[in-house]
Amino acid sequence: MRIAQIKLISSLSYRSIFRVPVNCWLIGAFMILIIIALGSSYLSNLHHQHNVNHYSEEVRDRWENNPDKHPHRMAHYGYVAFRTKYPLSFFDNGIDSYLGNAVFLEAHRQNSVNFSQASLSTGLMKFGALSAGLLLQLLLPLLIFFWGYASISGEREKGVLKLFLTQGAHWQEIILGKTLGLFLGSLTVVVPAFILTFILLLLYPHHLSLSSIASSFSCLTLCYLAYLFIVSFLAVWVSAKSASSKTSLIKLIGCWLFFTLIIPKISQVVGQFLYPTPSKIEFDTLVEQELLKQGDSHNPDDPHFKALKDSLLLTHGVSSTKELPFNYSGYLMKEGEKLSTETYRKHKAELISLYQKQSKVVHYTAMLNPYIAIKNISMVLSGTDFGSYQIFNEAAENYRYNLAQTMNDLQIEHISNTVKSSADKNAVISQQYWIDFPKFQHNFLSVKEMIKSIKWSIGALIMWLIILMLATVYFSKNLKAI
Amino acid sequence: MIKLQIKQLLRSKSLGIGLVLLFFLGLISLQIGKSFNERQQFIIEQTALAQKEHINRHLKYVDGHIGLLLYYIRFGLANESPAIAGLSIGQRDTRQAAQLINIRNLEEQKNTSELVNPFYQLLGNMDFSFVLIYLFPLIIIVLSFNLLSEEKESGRWSLLCVQSNNPFRVIKAKLLIRLVCVLFLLIVLLLLGSLYLNISFNQNLMAFCAHAILYVLFWFVLVWWATSLGKSSNQNALILLSCWLLLTTIIPSIVNNVVNYKYPIAAAYETTIDSRDGYHNKWDEPKEPTLLKFKKHYPQFAKYQHPEAASFSWLWYYAMQQMGDDESAVARQTMKQKIENRSKLTKWIGYFVPSIHTQLSMNFICKTGLHNYLNYMEALETYHEDLRLSFYPKIFEEEPIQNQKWETYSLQYFKEGRPTNWISLLPVIILSFVFLLSAKQKGHQNSKEKK
Repeated sequence: MRIAQIKLISSLSYRSIFRVPVNCWLIGAFMILIIIALGSSYLSNLHHQHNVNHYSEEVRDRWENNPDKHPHRMAHYGYVAFRTKYPLSFFDNGIDSYLGNAVFLEAHRQNSVNFSQASLSTGLMKFGALSAGLLLQLLLPLLIFFWGYASISGEREKGVLKLFLTQGAHWQEIILGKTLGLFLGSLTVVVPAFILTFILLLLYPHHLSLSSIASSFSCLTLCYLAYLFIVSFLAVWVSAKSASSKTSLIKLIGCWLFFTLIIPKISQVVGQFLYPTPSKIEFDTLVEQELLKQGDSHNPDDPHFKALKDSLLLTHGVSSTKELPFNYSGYLMKEGEKLSTETYRKHKAELISLYQKQSKVVHYTAMLNPYIAIKNISMVLSGTDFGSYQIFNEAAENYRYNLAQTMNDLQIEHISNTVKSSADKNAVISQQYWIDFPKFQHNFLSVKEMIKSIKWSIGALIMWLIILMLATVYFSKNLKAI
Repeated sequence: MIKLQIKQLLRSKSLGIGLVLLFFLGLISLQIGKSFNERQQFIIEQTALAQKEHINRHLKYVDGHIGLLLYYIRFGLANESPAIAGLSIGQRDTRQAAQLINIRNLEEQKNTSELVNPFYQLLGNMDFSFVLIYLFPLIIIVLSFNLLSEEKESGRWSLLCVQSNNPFRVIKAKLLIRLVCVLFLLIVLLLLGSLYLNISFNQNLMAFCAHAILYVLFWFVLVWWATSLGKSSNQNALILLSCWLLLTTIIPSIVNNVVNYKYPIAAAYETTIDSRDGYHNKWDEPKEPTLLKFKKHYPQFAKYQHPEAASFSWLWYYAMQQMGDDESAVARQTMKQKIENRSKLTKWIGYFVPSIHTQLSMNFICKTGLHNYLNYMEALETYHEDLRLSFYPKIFEEEPIQNQKWETYSLQYFKEGRPTNWISLLPVIILSFVFLLSAKQKGHQNSKEKK
């Protein structure tokens, strides 16, 4: 393979793209779409962030301004946690629209995270949300296929290919050169898109270190470049293998449909069949029944809590709970909260693992399907995948548990055993305790964790590159010149 | 002539593969619809059981004030989904088929959603409406994008022009044969679907079929229009594929972004905060104002009094709970208004975009759209209010728990009843005619240029 030859062929095929006026229009239209997608997502994320900040502050103010009171009332007053978006999320919406944004955190129960964008949207949600990620993953390949379907078959039909080969060009050089030409063509859209993304990213207000943002951004860029190279390669290969340009176009469009519609849908159906997930009512019933088995702190005759009481009385050498040196009902609630949270978390973890198994069925098809690979990579690096959401979810649940148990501890320590109800004047502790309780905030996945979760998808892209390269080296001799 | 055409078409591989694939995917979509319907039914049954079990268990535990029992026990309202919902699932699968609520404040209870894997939500359900809206047009394009251009490119067209007065008739016949094939497939799928899903034959089903057929007709008209432009096969393919992308992906997703951006729903957060403070803050405030507000809302309960100097009464407790709903009413109304605005704007834009219009109309017919959800929410509010109104006096009168017939409180059903909206067929018909006329004009121009 000679570099000079490849350079020549690639620059020829790159220039031939722009000789067709329609292509310039298509690139223009594509750029406009990219700008609309990035701009509107960026603005709505900014708006979302503004709301989150505003309402988080309001929640905090109201929390701190609660008067002196019984701590258990505070445990019920609870907190509202809002989900912050990862700075890059305007690039690719991922599953973000389907995730809840606000959750009410209180003692004794785990509320659902509510108000996802989808839950408040019309039936249009099904058509997908416009994002730069969608455009580059889904539509740009179609554009590349359109540019490349005749790249070799067309020249064969015109008889130029024979000339090329007799003049000393090698098949490998032609295939690589054409691929590079197409790839360079796609860069006219991709480069401005990523520059715009980077500028917007720098403008976006966030607390993350520049290096972590820059590394997830550059990783994202690299993966997209690899993806588009694969797509260009595929276009040229199919064109080389096809008898005519017409069949090449039909084959490529078939490939596109197969990769973007058929495989994802079918694998999803298979996933649902292999790993059925419980509905909310089944899940709630299951948790409730297990809790009932363990014991009910509200039931005075419950064996678990009766045993607990007896052992406490014995250790402290007293005859009734009123004589205990700490607040007994606080102690009971602490125990109850611990048990119920353990149970809930166990079942929640099972549910999450089912979801992950379901998703994996689709993700595994990345080995066959570069579209799923890039979709997964793009989602993870933009912080809009399930893993990123789990960070928020777990942070919120930990905060809730911590809040409830802190209030229980305060009750155990400061509230006397003789008060009759939370309304009692002596059953009040200072407001300062609320102020001392930390604010809610949540982190994001670190870039390292992100990369760890997409290593298979990255591997799939690399594998595709290698296979196509090998095919070029070993099988291109069998291609037909006429 | 026609016979030969049919033979030629039947022999072509692309038609066979295309139609078989479409039929196969259609069957999968019907199976998805079937299992969706069964799951909905299952959830509703489970909810009914859970409600019964829940009430019985608490009847055993709680032997005190009826107010305490009503603190715990929950009552269900199911959003009954018709069998036809399996054809166009919409957002039904992300929303609960039935909700259990207690008579405390509703705001904290009503917004829970169904448990669904969000990644699967992103990939979307392959229900019948998806197959129709996305895949049918593709087959139509593949079958007929080069009707005229192929003749021209193979040189047959000039031959035909010499031999016939009206060569366009041949092209028309070719297109009609394809139309018949695709329509036949569609009707077979619809027929199988209605049998397999046990959809009762009524106006709704007819309207659904009409929408499906019109949508297919629209695409044939579009193909005819593209043919009339007289471009080459490649250009036709490009034009039609661009139309497909615009109609099924680009325009709907832009509209979605625009609508959501135009009507942001920050009020959702506000309702959460307002209802939380509306209720919880009352514990630390003097009781009198809360009671006064409650009695102002419900003058019929003005005669009940909070026992003086008591630190607690159920009257005061439920008055506090009521405040959670009352004080978030403004934010809730704003939110509802905004969702309705979203729905209206989308519907209006949909009149000009057949894919959007067909999807929304199908969701509307199948009672799976946003509309249905809003109506169900309203029904849930009414149901909750009815429960309150019937239980409040019993709580305040301190009626003994045993006096109630608790076994009669079983799961209730909300059934959305709406007359079939036949007018919604019009936009697609009008749009199809516009393209037909335009095609005719273009055809005239082309033939003039020839002469």
